[in-house]
Amino acid sequence: MGWLPWSGSPSPDKASDGGRIAPDRSSRARCWEGRDLFFSCLDRNNIVDSVKDDKEARRKCGKEVEEFEAACSQTWVKYFKEKRVMEYNRDKTIERIKKEDAAKVSELKSQGWNSK
Amino acid sequence: MPATMGMASNLFGRVARHLSAFENPSSQRILPLLRNTTPSHCRAYTQAQRPQCGQSMAASRSSFSTTAFRSRAKTMGQLRQRNSTGPFSWKAALLFVLTGAGMMLYFRVEKARLERKRIAEMSKGVGRPKVGGPFVLKDLDGKEFTAEDLKGKYSFVYFGFTHCPDICPDELDKMAAIIEKVKETTKDDKIFMPVFITCDPARDTPAVLRAYLQEFHPGIVGLTGTYDQVKNVCRQYRVYFSTPRDVKPGEDYLVDHSIYFYLMDPDNDFVECIGRQDTPESASKVILEHINDWKREGKPLKTE
Repeated sequence: MGWLPWSGSPSPDKASDGGRIAPDRSSRARCWEGRDLFFSCLDRNNIVDSVKDDKEARRKCGKEVEEFEAACSQTWVKYFKEKRVMEYNRDKTIERIKKEDAAKVSELKSQGWNSK
Repeated sequence: MPATMGMASNLFGRVARHLSAFENPSSQRILPLLRNTTPSHCRAYTQAQRPQCGQSMAASRSSFSTTAFRSRAKTMGQLRQRNSTGPFSWKAALLFVLTGAGMMLYFRVEKARLERKRIAEMSKGVGRPKVGGPFVLKDLDGKEFTAEDLKGKYSFVYFGFTHCPDICPDELDKMAAIIEKVKETTKDDKIFMPVFITCDPARDTPAVLRAYLQEFHPGIVGLTGTYDQVKNVCRQYRVYFSTPRDVKPGEDYLVDHSIYFYLMDPDNDFVECIGRQDTPESASKVILEHINDWKREGKPLKTE
């Protein structure tokens, strides 16, 4: 099996014609489940970036991160960890823009501006 | 636009015809009733009142024509009643409202159709940004598959790779739902061809693709090719292509790719994008509208 983290360089399943067999639906589901468990543990411990704060994440969510990394390939683990940070920043940016917009609107309204 | 107006007046005529058809039976139903009741009714009146009865009978016989009625209206009561309503009656009001509603509905439908047509024809002709074009790939049986094979059907093209972590599987599940919805409505699985083109030919061989796509929908046509063939098709469809050329055996990597579905018409011209924000419902609605427009215009479709 190619998705074991301790096997170093993975030796993925070969297809009969030399292609590399991708994770199927059930192994994808296993990976996503591991990811969700790990991320909810990170949420509980207020950790966003589990790449940068790797030590902290492993100390607080040791069991979860191990299961996550066992269920997914290394590239997927990296992808999901980075995606979490990206989505966090995106949501924060959207939040900030919304707040700025609301502040601008209330400021204009106080000056007698009407949205209609 | 003249064609539109012609169709509108046609519609008006249809509504008017409909109304008169609706009117006739009721007047026929009332007439015998009047004929039976008035004479016996009249007999009870004095001589002076008799002509009046005869008059109203004559008026009712002339099938409620207002002109005939006007010439015979003699009493103040009849005149007053006519003046109070004028030429307006419930029939006129109904005709007015129905025609108005009909026209409004018609124009709204027609406007939506023209808007779709505009979108569909945006990629035809000269000076338009071109999405899609000639390519040579191979299908899962190893047979050559070119852009010509997409013609004659609406095709629904998606680019992805089987080692894709989360977006492609979600989108392919959506694709499967769309295929089923379109098939259900058109009752025909020949005019709509879903296509999956891999961006990762080194790992995605026909055997891998077949097993992968089978999990989503057996109707999806999987295509792969050499590195350069895939790079070319990605360029034709304006898909960002970042696959590394020389991959060490066993190396694991991700591929950036477009996350849009491309709807192509039977001339293999680009029609519309379906993106992440679309649901299977909204996507299949868009697709079915284009298929119906194509059929209504009587353009050819391959049905084998």
